Amino acid sequence: MGDDPAATGRTRPGAFARAWAKAVSGTSYLPMTQAQLEEMLQRLTDRLAQALRADPFDLRIGQQVGAELVRSHIASAEGLGRTVEVIQLRLVRDLDLVVDDVEDRMARLLATVATGYARALRDRTLDEQESIRRAAMTARAQAERALRDSEARFRHQATHDPLTDLPNRTLFTERLTAAITTPGRGADRIGVCFLDLDRFKVVNDSLGHQVGDSLLVAVAQRLRQALGEHLVARLGGDEFVILVERTAGTDDAVKVAEAALDAVREPALVDGHELAVSASIGIVERPVAGTSPLELMRAADSTLHWAKAAGGARWSLFDAERNRRELARYALSAAIPTALDRGEFYLDYQPLTSLRDGRVLGMEALVRWRHPELGVLRPDSFIPLAEETGLIVRLGSWVLAEACREAGTWSAAGGDAPFVSVNLAVRQLHRPDLVPEVRGVLGRTGLPPERLQLEITESTMMSTVVEPVRALRVLGDLGVRVAIDDFGTGYCNLAYLRDLPVNELKVAGEFVTGLRTPTGEPGGGTDERILASLVSLAHALDLTVTAEGVETADQADRLRAIGCDAGQGWHFGRPGPATAHMGT
Amino acid sequence: MQRPDWAPETIDIERPSVARMYDYYLGGSHNFAADRAAARAMVEAVPEAPLMAQANRAFLRRAVHYLTAAGVRQFLDIGSGIPTVGNVHEIAQRIDPESRVVYVDVDPVAVAHSQEILAGNERAAVVREDLRNPEAILRHPEVTRLLDFTEPVAVMIVAVLHFLPDSDRPEDILRTLRAALVPGSHLVLSQASDDGRAGTGERAEAERVYRRTDSQLWIRSRAELTALFAGFDLVDPGVVWVPQWRPDAPDQAEEAERAVFIGGVGRLGG
Repeated sequence: MGDDPAATGRTRPGAFARAWAKAVSGTSYLPMTQAQLEEMLQRLTDRLAQALRADPFDLRIGQQVGAELVRSHIASAEGLGRTVEVIQLRLVRDLDLVVDDVEDRMARLLATVATGYARALRDRTLDEQESIRRAAMTARAQAERALRDSEARFRHQATHDPLTDLPNRTLFTERLTAAITTPGRGADRIGVCFLDLDRFKVVNDSLGHQVGDSLLVAVAQRLRQALGEHLVARLGGDEFVILVERTAGTDDAVKVAEAALDAVREPALVDGHELAVSASIGIVERPVAGTSPLELMRAADSTLHWAKAAGGARWSLFDAERNRRELARYALSAAIPTALDRGEFYLDYQPLTSLRDGRVLGMEALVRWRHPELGVLRPDSFIPLAEETGLIVRLGSWVLAEACREAGTWSAAGGDAPFVSVNLAVRQLHRPDLVPEVRGVLGRTGLPPERLQLEITESTMMSTVVEPVRALRVLGDLGVRVAIDDFGTGYCNLAYLRDLPVNELKVAGEFVTGLRTPTGEPGGGTDERILASLVSLAHALDLTVTAEGVETADQADRLRAIGCDAGQGWHFGRPGPATAHMGT
Repeated sequence: MQRPDWAPETIDIERPSVARMYDYYLGGSHNFAADRAAARAMVEAVPEAPLMAQANRAFLRRAVHYLTAAGVRQFLDIGSGIPTVGNVHEIAQRIDPESRVVYVDVDPVAVAHSQEILAGNERAAVVREDLRNPEAILRHPEVTRLLDFTEPVAVMIVAVLHFLPDSDRPEDILRTLRAALVPGSHLVLSQASDDGRAGTGERAEAERVYRRTDSQLWIRSRAELTALFAGFDLVDPGVVWVPQWRPDAPDQAEEAERAVFIGGVGRLGG
């Protein structure tokens, strides 16, 4: 009893199809249930039966069956072997087929099935190989793209500021170096604008770093917008720099700087705060030839400080002469510590002479620097530097000690030996160890406290800090004299005269200069009246008055006439060694 | 093994890939000479290797049928390998064309191949990620685009866990994935086991073969795999040799332990 090939398409699997399914299952993965497999093989069984019967023999049917097996994923060597075996052994018997020369037909059928199967399997293998190779190539291309992306990302991170995403110092230096060193650029000019926000620290300190950071981001955005064509970089903190390539002249760089200042000036709304900020810019613009990136950056940086020092919210243009002067000043201040160690400083003295009897009451110590290359330097060429850098503390200590040491050796021709008057800088006065220092020096030198006078300026006393006042009081109680230097040129706050242990006022030379003018002429009488008032004021407060800058006998006479106690100036003696003023 | 995030890997087809070896076991030709050499060495050590792969693939098919019958229409197949014959989207989308499938694999060639296969399929995608980084999988734009985690999702980690040593803390990975699922979601796990085979020396041989591939073997017992279903209710018959898991016909479950793979399906209750 056989299956009827003429029956409906969905034939129930017969014994042969079931046996075939059993034979091939496990030879390769089949994405179907056993029932689906049997159903599929039943369809192929019908085709095989048709092929065996067909006259003439049709090669195509067997080949199609072989290809169909592979398409259904019965696609392994074992799958073919078992298929051949099961067809040969069971097809004719299970289907009960009656065919002439069945052996011959069976051989040809098996040959066509094997041919169709092998051909399909070979094509499938080639297709799959091609597809996996394509996938490997795609994956490789993707990996390479990822590599390029990550390299680009890495490069971006290395050359950009993470906060503002502006180029950083590294990238800026690269671009600046390229602009200067690229061959053929030697005839070009180049500009660099160093920009720094004014009082940015105040924003950070009062509103917090987060607001500060947001402000920097806002500023960065504006600069980028306003100066799109020029490279804007953030160097760190609130420092930005703009590269202006191929300038025609200074004006080009100035225009960029002005655009940058305008961009920053617009009030910025940051985290709910409306912040009005300004910036300072240092501009350097010069020919590319003969300059270096380092030199340009340094010059722009110093120029920025000029703009800052001038009050900010402005640009400054680099000035070679000014730069030279500043460099010289810098070199000088840097040399102070070594000069102290080498003993290059010494003191000259200028007498403070009594207007009553011409006696030398005291001598003001004036520091000199015997510079190995520049010769003897006066204090105005290095004291301001020393005050800026803080070296004044060391230098001042040396002056104090040296003055006390020398004064200890002075003997009076008759009566008291003169006191020594030493200038005290603001910074010295603010140091907590001033009192012990003075005590120590007096102890070591044996100088009586009454023979030391400390000169402080009026502005020193403007400070509201309590510490200096307390120190002066202690020193006053010790017996040390305190004089106000340059009196009348500061704010003349008279309150401290009442509260402080001040012994003497030194009236500024400007007033004395006016004494030259005959009384009748404009100005002359005014200075004399001011001086007279100062003297009576001082005397009312129990202070002595020394007039500075006395150059003529006439001035000395007039000062004496208005009751001034002492005078200092060329008329009485120029600065020089102490011995020059002794014994006269 | 650990590569910094920013350093892309290179594609080395001289190094056997477990994804392509698996394809070889299944009778595919999506493999290179090095993969075939390693796979042949594996077959020498464990002659059942091709059978294992087939049995596991059949388990996957039956599991997807079960899941679609349970109403699941979203599938996250992690460690999908070379998705050739009988992959999840073919099965699921034949049952319901609206089914959505996202494949995840760490092997760049497998991913590139999947991209080619899935080209033009609006409801299936492949993403390149590592099972060891479940957060990255869950927030991947393709995953969030195709899968709606307010509806049940089937997470399938089939024939993958034996490449994940305990030091990678699979229980934490599964906890992270579970946390993203709503009740009615499912977890499908299967992996190689040597229950009842200890002492044959096969395991040592297999481990030796896989030492030259891109992934190392980490065999687990049935108890260990069962523990990884923590938080899920195991669907009948629990964790078994994969041929025993809801076979199409009873005779297919014979000599089930020859399949070496154990597996099961868990359901997230609500």
